Amino acid sequence: MANPLRLPMVPRALRNLVSRPATRRYPYEIRPRFEGARGTIEFDVETCNYCMLCMRRCPAAAITVVREDRIWSIEHLTCIGCNVCVEVCNKNSLSMAKESKPVHTHAEVGPQGQRPGHEEWHGPDPAIAAAAKAAAAAT
Amino acid sequence: MKRTIIPFGPQHPVLPEPLVLDLILEDERVVDAVPTIGYIHRGLEMMVERVEYTEMGFVAERICGICSFMHGMGYCVSLEAIMNVEVPERARWLRIIWAEISRVQSHLLWLGLGADAFGFENLFMHCWRMREEILDIFEKTTGGRIIHSVNRIGGVKRDVSDAELAAIVVKLEELGKAFEKTANVFGKDPSIRHRLSGVGVLSADDARAVDAVGPMARASGVVMDTRLSGTYGYDQVDFEPVTETAGDCLARVVVRMREVQQSIGLVRQAVEKMPKGEGMPLENKPRGNPVGETYTRLEQPRGEVLYYVKANGTKNLERFRARTPTFANIPAMIKLVRGCDLADVPNIILTIDPCISCTER
Repeated sequence: MANPLRLPMVPRALRNLVSRPATRRYPYEIRPRFEGARGTIEFDVETCNYCMLCMRRCPAAAITVVREDRIWSIEHLTCIGCNVCVEVCNKNSLSMAKESKPVHTHAEVGPQGQRPGHEEWHGPDPAIAAAAKAAAAAT
Repeated sequence: MKRTIIPFGPQHPVLPEPLVLDLILEDERVVDAVPTIGYIHRGLEMMVERVEYTEMGFVAERICGICSFMHGMGYCVSLEAIMNVEVPERARWLRIIWAEISRVQSHLLWLGLGADAFGFENLFMHCWRMREEILDIFEKTTGGRIIHSVNRIGGVKRDVSDAELAAIVVKLEELGKAFEKTANVFGKDPSIRHRLSGVGVLSADDARAVDAVGPMARASGVVMDTRLSGTYGYDQVDFEPVTETAGDCLARVVVRMREVQQSIGLVRQAVEKMPKGEGMPLENKPRGNPVGETYTRLEQPRGEVLYYVKANGTKNLERFRARTPTFANIPAMIKLVRGCDLADVPNIILTIDPCISCTER
């Protein structure tokens, strides 16, 4: 039988009894994510020109763009957060937020049948947008 | 004597992933073992048929959660060889740094699991606490803790500033010092010695005969390290492969402990030798579609990994194959299990560092 005081882990174990815990008290104390961490894709509907490059390059096919109807949508549950769409976007409409959105479950289908994690933006109609721009220029 | 068959796994307290061994016992002694794999086969290699080659790197990264960086790097290196793309120097050094940090992470994870397998829960917690600091480094530099997504064909996507690299080296050296105390426990604790020493001995000849790779082979005294071939920038760093001669479970633990320190040293060397400065080129974008085939060998934490890529000039590759180190080490594991006691089986299985996700892809 080895002498317990000679065991190399014993001093460490005794110190652990009085030292602070190495972990955080998680739900009460949350470490903010580091700068540059990849969280959720954010979209700016004002600058997008619906070139569909992000849709073609997305490895997970999470992005759907309909150019005629000016619709840009993303499935957050399908998105793998690889940052490729942000890299290819010519208009810098896409950005990567460092915080992740809360986890969705498939049980959370909305009353109108909205899928969980689905987010959709509708851009202004090109004719209306042009008219508004012309009006702004006139004034 | 009457033989008994005991199914070991797919669910077992020491197994992090599902692996089945049908142990054929005579009394308490294992006379043979029949492995079965295939519980988490996902068909990732088949995905090349419908995923474009530019996007396949992200799939390759998801082969395994522990060596994800190396899988992504292996895929990109293969495609670079086919398409004759020169990787910028700083990007090559950054790949080495990340690869070595991920080796530290993987070994710390395994040492924790190993400690848990022989019932030393306190040690397990300490190893994983240190691993958490490494994952923080990954989150700061690549943006992800497990899936890094920084490798692209032709380079890397993110730069790490020189100040941040210096801070990482300081942090790793502190970690190395703290780890020495933990390593002391692994090496000197009599209960660990009693449990691991002389268990599952693989001689050097046997290691060569069953084609063991990585720390498994090095613990038996076989000098075998793919990094020695000097590819992908490893010719510019100095290191000696870590070898032990005992070939038992304890030797395999010791090899991995010393490799943690070795990798920390390699990161320091890489940071010293890499070209400094802001805004250096990190990526040479390939043009056109790849045509040709290539083999790539890399040294992963678990051993040598081999990628075969065949491209036919279209957007989809014809074949992508990864021979992962655990797959190569399974014959060695079966050899060790034959003739040992039933109580030693968990330790022997764990000391090959099984990664079943890699094996089954």
